[in-house]
Amino acid sequence: MTTPWMLVDSPRNGGFTARFESLGRKLPAHRVTTAELMESTRHHTSIDLERLTGIHEHRCCGPGEDSLTLAIDAARDCLARSRYRASDLDIVIDASITRHDGEAIHRFEPPLSLSIKQAIGADRALHFDISNACAGMLTGVYLLHDMIRRGAIRCGMVVSGEHITGLGSNAARSIRNILSPQLASLTLGDAGAAVIVERAPDDQPGIMLAGFTTLAEHSRLCLGFPAAHQPGAKMFTRAREIHDVAMVDGPLLIEQVLEQASLHLADIDWLIPHQTSVRALHAADKVLAERFGGGPKHLVITVDDYGNTASTTLFLALHRHLGEHTFTPGDKVLLLSVASGLEVGVLIFVVDHLQETHGHLH
Amino acid sequence: MGICIEAAATSLPHGRLFGRGALHLSDAAARDCLERGHHRATELDLIVNVGLYKDHGLAEPALASLIQEDIGANPGHPPRRGAHGTFSFDLLAGGNGVVTAAYVLDGFVACATAKLALIVAGDSPPSPAVRVPFAPAAGAILLSHAVGDVGFTRFVFETFAEDAGLFEVRTRWDPHGGVMRHGSNVLEIYEAPAFRTRCIEHAIAVARRTLDEARVTPTEVDVLVANQLPSGFADELAVGLGLPPSCVPHVATELAHAHTAGPIAALEEGLRRQPKTVLFVTAGAGITIGAALYRDRRAA
Repeated sequence: MTTPWMLVDSPRNGGFTARFESLGRKLPAHRVTTAELMESTRHHTSIDLERLTGIHEHRCCGPGEDSLTLAIDAARDCLARSRYRASDLDIVIDASITRHDGEAIHRFEPPLSLSIKQAIGADRALHFDISNACAGMLTGVYLLHDMIRRGAIRCGMVVSGEHITGLGSNAARSIRNILSPQLASLTLGDAGAAVIVERAPDDQPGIMLAGFTTLAEHSRLCLGFPAAHQPGAKMFTRAREIHDVAMVDGPLLIEQVLEQASLHLADIDWLIPHQTSVRALHAADKVLAERFGGGPKHLVITVDDYGNTASTTLFLALHRHLGEHTFTPGDKVLLLSVASGLEVGVLIFVVDHLQETHGHLH
Repeated sequence: MGICIEAAATSLPHGRLFGRGALHLSDAAARDCLERGHHRATELDLIVNVGLYKDHGLAEPALASLIQEDIGANPGHPPRRGAHGTFSFDLLAGGNGVVTAAYVLDGFVACATAKLALIVAGDSPPSPAVRVPFAPAAGAILLSHAVGDVGFTRFVFETFAEDAGLFEVRTRWDPHGGVMRHGSNVLEIYEAPAFRTRCIEHAIAVARRTLDEARVTPTEVDVLVANQLPSGFADELAVGLGLPPSCVPHVATELAHAHTAGPIAALEEGLRRQPKTVLFVTAGAGITIGAALYRDRRAA
């Protein structure tokens, strides 16, 4: 077996198996359709964003909602579906890109994870924040997976609250045509998500493998920072170039990871990719099918209903499909992150108790 | 098995106008650290940036990915078969960034999932007009796999959430801010007078417990690695723990106000003494205290 380009962590390296124990989410009640968003642009654009992206609507924070409240509500929903109490958690990791907290547009110190663990009562837990763009939550799971595998912790939570639609509001003031570097900001939606990762009982399935790499040659293709003369932030994205890199390098990376797990892409029952646009996801599915002579059995798309909810997309999609009982125990699910950096993360797990327990509120 | 420190390095701005950005400083520290450790950037498996205050307040992507590209650590495209890449991300834990990152990396490197990892910490004011209570500086630590009972042997973290409001930093929209008073995003820093005292009190308690649980006496500690901020933290901590003043490495004046790179500045100086046992004690907003014991290869 050749050395994989990705930094791959798997129970094959020794140690325990980790698994998803429960998931939670928070979706703001307020819905904004893509048509309504495009009506708010300052300039007449002639952009049919809905046709371009397949996004019908997204959620938007209302008064009193922000990154912190979304994260806390998602964490509480996760705990309500869990066997664990907050006091059992060994670690709480916040992975939000946005760190809005009340009047604060961006909270630097203390970390948001401190406020989250205080709010849910995880007093014993170590806490820290990570920042890895839209790959943040999967990065957090990757870290917990390693700590559980080597026995350093028993269970931990990764949580994120993305109040990110402010970027879209700022972009709407300057976008003139389809070539605008802020166009991707119009695809964003607000959401919170949380996941508890635990040590699996002996001989029980769970996370088969997790791998990450940073194709840093493309680190400057998407940059987000506070706006100079407007509240909130702006994001400048060279979306076409990111898509092209993902189409070229993604399949090779996935192939190497599958090889590490002794799997073929056709063995994957569900592919849950980072949700950017319906068109981009179908294009990626086609490229994978051509390269591997057959794709995964199912491609999960939720971007049409939620927009791109940044670091939460994978777990929002997973939460929805668990709720709809579409998985069967034994199904293999591949989570695929592609994010600014350019980060590529892959996690493969086997659905077991999670499908049964997800609907049970404790 | 554990992880050992191969090298530490710091960097400072060369002038008042140029080279003061967090990225520039972090790149320089990372390059110097690799050179001191006699390693190439392409050998790195992991880069973790723990710096908080970035150029222009960059929120995306992780600064670590920009550092990775700048120092040439397997930037990729296309990923080559048979070679390995580098994974980069930011970990945000304020003054505890270095110790928290060491804890996270401990497993990856100790289990040889990763063979070589770099922690980078750099801070600079988001813009020259913003006044901050720290000086622009960066540091880097190179970590590798160690065999035997050496490396980081114990990590302890404790949060005293009742003191969470004593130190807060945030960006807020000021509708009358900016030169033209048309509004701007402003960085607000609040430090209560009690913050420094409470940090020291809590740090002494956590460090004592760390030493007791590891059955290490204060006389066995060769070097105390601590934050540079709040000022006088390391000296008062040493007194409280009964460590001789010589345990505290005194850093260059320019590094005495480093934020997340503060512990690296102390480590860089401390490593010159070829210590056997190093006690790390850091404090961050929260108030969270991080403590770690490190046994050098020479102690084995």
